[in-house]
Amino acid sequence: MSVDAAPTDPVQGSPSGAGPTSGVGPASGAGQPDAATAQRALRESAERERLEQLLEESRNIRGVSLWQDAWRRLKRNRVAIFSLWLLATVALLAFITPLLPLQSPVDKDLQNRRFLPPNLAAAHLGDRPSLQFADNRLTAELAEFETRIAELRSEAAQIVDPAAREKRMVEIDQRVEVDHPFHQLWHDLGPVSWAMVQVRIAIFGDWAIPSIFGTDDLGRDLLARVFWGARVSLIVGLVATLVSLVIGVSYGAIAGYFGGVIDAAMMRIVDLLYSIPFIFVVIFVLTFLEDDKTKAYLESVGVSRMTIFYLLIGAIYWLTMSRVVRGQVLSLRHEQFIEAARTIGAPQGRIIFRHLVPNVLGIVIVYMTLTIPAVMLFEAFLSFLGIGVEPPDVSWGLLMDEGVKALSSVKTFWWLALFPGLAMAMTLFALNFLGDGLRDALDPRMKNRD
Amino acid sequence: MPPEIRRAFLFCGAALVVGAVVWASIFDALPPADFSLQSGTDAKTLDPARATGNIEGRLLDALFEGLLRTLPDGPVDPETGVQPQTPQPAMAESYEVSEDGRTYTFHLRRDARWSNGDPVTSHDFRWSWLRLLHPESASEYAFHLHALPYAEEYNLAKVETGDRVEVELWTRPGESAAEQGNVQPFPRGDLVYGVLKQILKPEEPKFPEGLAEEAQERLRGEWIEKWVYEVETRLENADGSIDWETPGELRRFTQSYATARRDDGVERVHHVLVAFDRLGALETPDDHTFVVNLENPVPYFPHVVAFYSLYPVHRGCVEDHGSPQWTQPGAIVSNGPYVLQLRRLRDRLRLVKNENYWNAEVTGFEVVDFLSVESETTAMNMYETDQIQWVTAPPTALLEELRSREDFIRAPQLSVYFYRLNTTRPPLDDVRVRRAIAMAIDRTEIVEEVTKGGQLPSFSAVPPGLAGYKKATGLTYDVEEARRLLSEAGFPNGRGMPKITILYNTSEGHRAIAEVIQQQLRNNLNISVGLQNMEWGTYLDKVFQIDYQMARAGWIADYPDPNTFLDMWVTDGPQNSTGWSNAEYDDLIRRAGLEGDPAKRMELLRQAEEIWIEEMPVIPVYSYTSLNMVKPEVEGFAPSAQDKHPLHLMRYRQPSEED
Amino acid sequence: MQDLASYLLKRLGWMLLTLWAVFTLSFVLMRSVPGNPFDGERAVAPAIRRQLEARYNMDGTPLEQYRQALGNLVFHGDLGWSMKLEDYSVAQVIAEGFPISASLAIFALVFAVILGVTAGVISAVRRGSVADVGMMSAAVLGIAIPNFVLASLAILLFVFLIPIFPAAGWGTFRQILLPAICLGLPVAAYIARLTRTGMLEVLGRDYVRTAAAKGLSKRTIVLRHALPGALLPVVSYLGPATASVLTGSLVLEKIFALPGMGSHFVNSALQRDFTLSMGMVLTYTVLLFTMNTIVDISYAIIDPRVKMQ
Repeated sequence: MSVDAAPTDPVQGSPSGAGPTSGVGPASGAGQPDAATAQRALRESAERERLEQLLEESRNIRGVSLWQDAWRRLKRNRVAIFSLWLLATVALLAFITPLLPLQSPVDKDLQNRRFLPPNLAAAHLGDRPSLQFADNRLTAELAEFETRIAELRSEAAQIVDPAAREKRMVEIDQRVEVDHPFHQLWHDLGPVSWAMVQVRIAIFGDWAIPSIFGTDDLGRDLLARVFWGARVSLIVGLVATLVSLVIGVSYGAIAGYFGGVIDAAMMRIVDLLYSIPFIFVVIFVLTFLEDDKTKAYLESVGVSRMTIFYLLIGAIYWLTMSRVVRGQVLSLRHEQFIEAARTIGAPQGRIIFRHLVPNVLGIVIVYMTLTIPAVMLFEAFLSFLGIGVEPPDVSWGLLMDEGVKALSSVKTFWWLALFPGLAMAMTLFALNFLGDGLRDALDPRMKNRD
Repeated sequence: MPPEIRRAFLFCGAALVVGAVVWASIFDALPPADFSLQSGTDAKTLDPARATGNIEGRLLDALFEGLLRTLPDGPVDPETGVQPQTPQPAMAESYEVSEDGRTYTFHLRRDARWSNGDPVTSHDFRWSWLRLLHPESASEYAFHLHALPYAEEYNLAKVETGDRVEVELWTRPGESAAEQGNVQPFPRGDLVYGVLKQILKPEEPKFPEGLAEEAQERLRGEWIEKWVYEVETRLENADGSIDWETPGELRRFTQSYATARRDDGVERVHHVLVAFDRLGALETPDDHTFVVNLENPVPYFPHVVAFYSLYPVHRGCVEDHGSPQWTQPGAIVSNGPYVLQLRRLRDRLRLVKNENYWNAEVTGFEVVDFLSVESETTAMNMYETDQIQWVTAPPTALLEELRSREDFIRAPQLSVYFYRLNTTRPPLDDVRVRRAIAMAIDRTEIVEEVTKGGQLPSFSAVPPGLAGYKKATGLTYDVEEARRLLSEAGFPNGRGMPKITILYNTSEGHRAIAEVIQQQLRNNLNISVGLQNMEWGTYLDKVFQIDYQMARAGWIADYPDPNTFLDMWVTDGPQNSTGWSNAEYDDLIRRAGLEGDPAKRMELLRQAEEIWIEEMPVIPVYSYTSLNMVKPEVEGFAPSAQDKHPLHLMRYRQPSEED
Repeated sequence: MQDLASYLLKRLGWMLLTLWAVFTLSFVLMRSVPGNPFDGERAVAPAIRRQLEARYNMDGTPLEQYRQALGNLVFHGDLGWSMKLEDYSVAQVIAEGFPISASLAIFALVFAVILGVTAGVISAVRRGSVADVGMMSAAVLGIAIPNFVLASLAILLFVFLIPIFPAAGWGTFRQILLPAICLGLPVAAYIARLTRTGMLEVLGRDYVRTAAAKGLSKRTIVLRHALPGALLPVVSYLGPATASVLTGSLVLEKIFALPGMGSHFVNSALQRDFTLSMGMVLTYTVLLFTMNTIVDISYAIIDPRVKMQ
C-alpha cells in the first residue's frame, strides 16, 4: 500500500498530500522560443531539485495503509472487537458443528421426545429404541458392525483365488459404505462432515449434550438444529452479501464515476431490475438447474444447487447497494483528490477502486450490516415458499418460522421460537456493532487522527 | 427554486400527509354478521361449472341448490359419532329411477324460486348442464356427466363422420365477423343441426424433431381449427324436435377465419359438436319434470346430482351479464338458502338469507360471513376471541391440545393421502421394490405422532366406510417381508439401491410426513431418501411430466363410491401420472362401469383393487379426517364423512333448550 | 416551474420505457418457468385446454401472445382477467387491494417516520448516552427480528395477555393499528439509524459550527440547521420503502388476515396466474417510479443546492 492521493476529508477542502501534485502536471512545456531557453532550463533544474527533494522526503515517510490504520483504530473499540470474536466463534462453531457432542439434528424420536421443553435428561446417541442398535448405543452398534466387517474380511482373506478375493474385498468395502450405522442417525452426511462425526465419536463416544433447548414437533433436538442451521444461515448471509457487495459496489461506483449518459443508463437498468418479479427469477434459475444435464455438469465442477441459490440471493440484493454507492461516488467525484488523481493520469479503474471505493466503504459497511439479516430472512422466506433450502438441511429462518407457528393462545411451545431467535439476534447484534466499529475505523477522515 | 415555492411545497406536503391519515382512518364499517367462518383462501370462482375444491364447494352449497342436496339422514352412528348423509330431494320434490337404472325422472318443486323471484324450471337444469358440458366452459368436473349419451364427445369436442351435429354460427351477441371471437361460454350464437358427411382435413403438419410439447400441441390445435366440416343440414319440427330423417342442403363450415375467408363456400363457425342436446339425454316434458337418460346405470348418480358442479345457474343472469361478470354481487342470481351480498377479495364474502328459498323458514342465520383467513393460527386466534364461530382447519401443532375439547369435531373422511410412484424408471419399475417401500412405512406412527388428527392408516386404494363395498385386503406394515422383497429385487439391505427422492408441494404437513418416511425407510430398509420441496406450479408440472420418483398427493371423494378412487389409475387416466398400466385392471374398471347389478359391480371393483394392491403403483399412507371447531352454542353441526355441513340448518341454541 | 414540468415529462417518458422493458422481461420469464395456470390435480384434456388458452389469449405462439397482451395493455389499458381468481379482472383485483394497502401503508409510514426520526435525532445529539445505546439496540432488534415473529409476539401480547386489539381482520380503526405498527417498526428502525448517521455527519460540518458559534440555541441548531441536511438519506430511503410498504407484506397480511395486495404478488407467481402477476409487477413499477420521482423533487425542496435534471 502506498501513500499516493490518500483519501481525505472531502468537506474540509484541499487534501494536503495531493495538493502539490496538481501543480506538477502543466510544468512540462515543449516547443518554447529559443531566447528564454537557458533561463528556463535553469529554473527548471531548480524546480526539479526542489521536487526531487520533496519526493525524497516523501519516500522516507513509511506509508500507513488504509487497512493497517483501520485495524489499529478498530482494536481500540472494545465492543467491536468483542463482536468480532463472538462472530468468529459462531462461525468456527458452525464450521465444526459435526465435531461437537451434539445429538443428531435429523434423528426423530416421535414416540418419546416430541415437544419436550428444555431439560437436562441425559442423551446418548442411538438410544432411540426403534433404531434397534445393540445396547441402544451407537458405539456398541459400531463395535458390532466393525467386528462383523472384520470377520467378513478375514473370511475373504482365506479365499484362494486372488480375483475372487479381490472381488469379495470390493464387495465388503461397498458394504462398509452402505451399511454403516452413521446413516441411520445422520442420513446423508457429506465427506467432510462424515470425517468430523467420526472424530466426534472417537472423542465423546455416545455422550451428547442434553436437550437444553428442548425438542421440536418431530422429536428432534433443537440445540443440534440451531447449530446445524447456523451453517446454512451464516453461509447464506456471507456469500449472498459478498456477492451483492461485489456487484453492487462495482456497478454503483462505475455509474457514479462516469456520470452522464452512462450513469443514467446504468441507473435505469437498476430501476428496471427493481421491478422484475424475483420469484420468477428464482424459480426459473432453480428449475433450469434441476435439468438433469445441467445438474450433472454443475456437480462435476463442484457447484451444488445450494451454492447457486446463495449466489442468486446475492444477485438479487445488489440493487440497493449499487444505488447507495453510486450516490456517494457522485458526490465525491468532483472532490479535489479525485481531480488530482485524474490529473496525474491515474487509470480510471484505479481511480474508481483505489480512490473512490475506499471512501464509500463506511456507508457500504453500514448497508452491509443491514443486508445480512435481510438476506437471511429472504432465504427463510424462499425456503418457506418451497424454493430454497430442503430438509434435512435447516436454517435459522426456517426454525424461527416453525417456532412462531407454535406460539398460540391455546398452547405455547416458547422454546421453539426463543432459541433460534436468540441465536439470530445475537449474531446480528454482533454484526452490527462490528459494522459500526468498522465504519468508524475505515472513515478516511479519521485517518492518522488518533 | 425560490424559498416561497419551497415553503408552499412543504405546506402542501404536510397537508397531503394529514389528508392521507384522515382518509385512511375512515372506514365504512360493516354491521357484524350473525355467524362467521374461516373460509380459507379466496374462492377461485362462484360459477358452479368452473368451480373446484372444498372452499368453493362450501360456498356453492350455501348459494345454490341442485335437484338433490346432501343432507343428514338417519341417526348418528353411535360408535364414531358420525352423522350419515345422503342425497335428498331439494329442487326436485321427488324422483324415480327406472328398473334398469338408466332413467331418472325428477319432479321439481312448484315453489322453487330463484333469488329474483323467477321460478326454477327443468329448462334451467337442462341449460345449466349443457353449459357445464360445453367445451368452452372447460369445466374440470364435466366428466361427472359423461355417463350421459354423447356427453363425452360433446364435452371433448369429438366428432366423426356420420354423427348428428350442431353447428354454432358466428352470431354470438355483440359479435361481428371480425377476427376475434367472443370467448364467452354461453350466450351462444344460432345453432344449425345436421349430419356430418365428411371432414376435409388439410395435411397434418409435420413436427420437427425435438419440438417442445407445448408447441406441438399448439400446432395440432391450429391444424384442427382448419378442418372443414361438410354437414347435411336438418330442420326443426314444429314441436321443436329435429327431423333427423329428411335431408336438407349441404353446407360447409370451419372454425378458422383464414380458411373461411379464402373459400366463399365455407362459413366460419364457433363449433361443430355432437348434437348432444337433441339426442335424448336430457328431456324436459314440462316445466317441472326433468328426465335424465343415462347410457349405463350409475348407482351413485344421485350423489353426482347433489354435487355442486351440477347446480343450476340462472340463464337470464348469465346471458345479461356475461361470464364471469354474472357472479358479482348485485348481478348474481342464485337458488340456494343464501344470496351473495358482498365480496371482497382476501377479506370476506357476505351471504344473506334468501327469502325466496323454498325452505327459507328453516334457515338459521340471517347474515353469514365467509372470511378469507389463510393462516391456521390466525383463524384459531379469531375463534378464541369470538371473531369467528367455525374453524375449518385447526393448526396441527395444537391438535393434541384441541382434540380433547368438546368443540372439536372430527370425522373420518372418504379420502386418501398417498405417494405416487414413477413406475417407468428403475428402481421403482420393479414391483418388489414398490411393495417393499410400501410395507416399510409405519403409518401408525405417522397418524399418531405427526398428523395427530385421528387419521386412519391406509393400506389400499379405497378408504374404509363405503356401504356395500367389501374392501380388498391391503398390505401390512411388515419390515421383515419388506427387507426380503428388497433383497430379492437385488438390493440386500439397501446395497446398490439408488437414492430415492420424494417430491412434495410446499406445506408444513407434507414436509413433516416426508421427513418421517425418510427416516423410516432409512431405518427399516437402509434406503437413502432425498426430499424435494417444490411450490405448487412446478410440482404439478413435474407430476404431469412423470418426472419424479415418489410424489405425494391426496384425493377426497366427490361421491361415496369406490369407483372414484379406482378409475384414477386406469391407463393414461387424467390423474394417473405414474406411468402404470395394467390391461386387466382397465378391463375390470370398464366392465364395472357397464354392470347393472350393484353387487356384481362392487365385486368387479374389488378385483381391480386387488390388482392395484398387488402392483402398488401408488403407496397409500392414511385417510384424512375432517377437523372442525365450532362454538358450542351452535347447533345443527354434525361430523360427516364428506365434511359437508349444510349452513342453513345451523343456528344458535335457544337458551330454553339448555335448561 | 417550467423546469419542474419538463422534468416530470422526462420522468414520465422514462417510466413508460421502463414499464415496457419490465413487461417484456417479465413476460419472457413467466413463459419460461415450468407449470402453467391451467394445471389442476387432474390433467386437462387437450380440447378443453385449448379453450382455456383461447379465453386468456394464450393459444398463439409466444410472440403472438406477447403482441396481443401488449396491444391490449397499450390500446385498451386492459390487463385482462385473472387466471386464478376467475371472477375478477386484474384491474378489479388491484382496485380492491390498493386502497387497503395504501391506508395501512400511510399509518405504518407516519408511525415509522415520527418514531424513527425522533429516535435518530435524540441518539445523535446524545451520542454515547444510555438513551443512544438503548435506542440503537432497539433499532438493531427491529431490523433483525423478522416481522412474522414480531407480529406473533404482538398478537400474544396485545390480543391475549392485554386484550386491547382484535386478533385479525379488517374494517375498523382498531384492527389497523397492530398490523400498521408491525409493518412500520422495521422501517422506523432503518430510519432511526439513517437519521443518526446523517445527523452525526451534519453536526460536524462547518455551517453547523458557525451556527453554534453565533450562539444559536442547541434546539434551533438541531431542528433548523442540521435536521434538513441529515434527512436527505432518509428521504432517499423513503422512496423505495414507501413503494414496498404500499405493495404490502405477504406475511403480515396472512397473520392479520388483511385484504391488501401483498399476498397477490407472491401467490399469483406461485400459482402461475400470469395476468395478475403482470398486473402486480407493473403496479409496483409505477409506484416505485412515482415514489422515486417524489423523492427527487423533495431533495430539491430540502436541499437548495440540488438542481433537478
